[in-house]
Amino acid sequence: MVISLFTKKLMLFIDSTNFERLLRKLSSEGELFIPVPEEETGKLHLQRVEDFPLPELVTFEGYRMVEPLKAFAQLLRYPVAEYPSPDTDELPEDKKVPAFVIVGARACDIYALELVDKVQVEGEFVDPFYKIRREKMFIIAADCTECGESCFCNLLGNGPWPERGYDLAISKVSGGFLIVAGSEQGEKIVETNGEFFAEPREGLVAARDENRQRVVKKLAENNGDYPSVDGLPELIREHLTADIWDDIAAKCVECGACTNICPTCYCFLLYDQKVDGEHFQRIASWDSCQVTGYARMAGMLNPRPRLTDRVKHRYHHKYDYLVLSHGAVYCTGCGRCIDTCSAGIDMRDAFRKVKAAVAK
Amino acid sequence: MKNPYYPIDTVVEDIITETPTIKTFVLKPAKPIPFRAGQFMQLTVPGEGEAPFTPSSSPSVKERMEITVLRTGKVTDSLHEFKPGAKVGLRGPFGKGYPLEKLEGKEVLIVGGGVGLAPLRSLIYALLENPAKYKRVSIKYGARLPDELCFRRQYEEWSKVAPNVDFTNTIDVEAPGWTGRVGLVTTLLDDLDVNIDQSIALSCGPEIMLKFVTLKLLEVGYKPIQIYLSMNRKMSCGMGKCGRCNVGHYYLCVDGPDMNYDKIKHVPNVFG
Ligand SMILES: Cc1cc2nc3c(=O)[nH]c(=O)nc-3n(C[C@H](O)[C@H](O)[C@H](O)COP(=O)(O)OP(=O)(O)OC[C@H]3O[C@@H](n4cnc5c(N)ncnc54)[C@H](O)[C@@H]3O)c2cc1C
Ligand code: SF4
Ligand code: FES
Repeated sequence: MVISLFTKKLMLFIDSTNFERLLRKLSSEGELFIPVPEEETGKLHLQRVEDFPLPELVTFEGYRMVEPLKAFAQLLRYPVAEYPSPDTDELPEDKKVPAFVIVGARACDIYALELVDKVQVEGEFVDPFYKIRREKMFIIAADCTECGESCFCNLLGNGPWPERGYDLAISKVSGGFLIVAGSEQGEKIVETNGEFFAEPREGLVAARDENRQRVVKKLAENNGDYPSVDGLPELIREHLTADIWDDIAAKCVECGACTNICPTCYCFLLYDQKVDGEHFQRIASWDSCQVTGYARMAGMLNPRPRLTDRVKHRYHHKYDYLVLSHGAVYCTGCGRCIDTCSAGIDMRDAFRKVKAAVAK
Repeated sequence: MKNPYYPIDTVVEDIITETPTIKTFVLKPAKPIPFRAGQFMQLTVPGEGEAPFTPSSSPSVKERMEITVLRTGKVTDSLHEFKPGAKVGLRGPFGKGYPLEKLEGKEVLIVGGGVGLAPLRSLIYALLENPAKYKRVSIKYGARLPDELCFRRQYEEWSKVAPNVDFTNTIDVEAPGWTGRVGLVTTLLDDLDVNIDQSIALSCGPEIMLKFVTLKLLEVGYKPIQIYLSMNRKMSCGMGKCGRCNVGHYYLCVDGPDMNYDKIKHVPNVFG
């Protein structure tokens, strides 16, 4: 039996029909989300499917989704407390969420979740809402078979396929997928569905590697004009001149789209509202460090009153502060901020400007 | 699983008017909330929202907690309208608290301004519980006007508690009937008689005051590492999750709110 062959990171083959069968099985265990392209642009969105067969358009090729995966772990806006309630700070059972299965997550998004986990789940306090949703998330990762114009994971030394952080990972090959398990849960799914899997035919692994190298090459070409992020934290910290930020801020329209779409931006604001009579609700809602009111205090004191200060703060937070406090650059190179910016601001330009300014 | 966003039901048992704009609220939470001096709480005014306050009471008192609040905006305005019996909520404690162990055997210099004496009062309680542990406890306090001095009823007691404890205060400008010292709180640092090598200074007050106190302390010979400042940033979660309260790469709610000046001295516009 194939199953007995399966140990961690052992590679198997699953054909397209069986993959759909597998998804169907998984869909009975949780809400299933799959990548479906926009008809005009081909851009991928995660779409909930409840009926099979899968929609005709579904694809496990291409690159990341338009929406960041964090949106599944940390909802845009959600209640975190209702009060007063009978004397308890224990989370009520009904706050538990159903399991969900995400298919087609890319390296840049999976790594982003790992980064946000460090903030929300590690340390003295744990955000229970984030933690529960993360635990309920079953991730089937996919190799990128293309990259977008704005993708720059290579400058950060990751992508275009994930090394960890998934339950199962697929690589598109002719007739189906190579598949590996990356967690015990993933391994269990493979074991209990042994009939769907087979040993990979000769040449499939080579084909997968060829595809990967093709995307690596494309990423390098697309980003040939930009420097890598190596050494950037130190440069930003020690040499940064204000002119760079003034230049960027001059274009920024302060909409906050870049932070909202960013897979590693985790900032939120708590606010309270009345439910009825003497009952109140506390809501957590995404927030953006780019808007004026974000850090404003009583008496209009504001540590970052100018847009330049806030633009600079965004870069510092990602490439400097979090390196010191959480041990990593909080950018995975997904390029969503570039796609979304109506002023055409490109993070990679900032790297180039910083490096050029220091070189001078 | 614990929900750290849930405000523990709390009753306002008593309200003490300290100054025309500052009141102390005696709070009794549904269950005791132990805290270390300098840690802070998120206080909920139901429906209005939260604001961070550092308890001004003794950390040894477990059942009750006092917070001393300057009226300055939405949440604090509502609080000031409250009568005893009102219901609020508490989350916390958050942050590190004062570095009490580092103060043992030292000449402790405490410099407060305005409502900034509130957080420092819980430190004072903690120190004065066992004054012999410290070589010296010298408290300097300033407010704008005589009737803006907080906790006036306690000054005498503080100065008399032990020979190694002293308390001096000042007001910013002359006022009718005032016979004490006049001048900014920094003038109390002009002729310091502490042994600076053996000293640690801790200060809390408006940012502008913190700035001038720090400059003065450096001028008279303190090293940055000997200075702790209670910094102020907007806060929301209070526990390093919401990303709001940076001072440099520190999250004030986790690494502070009292920060060693040596760690933050390089931060541009650190005093805002
Ligand atoms: C760690 C810490 C301890 C504090 N301890 C005390 C204390 O013991 N006594 C005291 O009088 N004041 C203290 N403050 C300041 C106090 O939190 C603010 O004055 C209060 O938040 C103002 O809220 P407001 O709704 O009345 O003002 P508004 O201007 O209406 O505030 C609007 C919102 O901004 C937030 N906010 C505004 N100003 C601040 C601020 N300075 N710091 C943090 N959040 C702010 C509030 O949470 C509020 O939701 C402390 C601040 C911090 C950060
Ligand atoms: S940034 Fe890299 S990993 Fe992310 S979608 Fe683009 S190519 Fe794939
Ligand atoms: S208040 Fe949320 S991170 Fe500090």
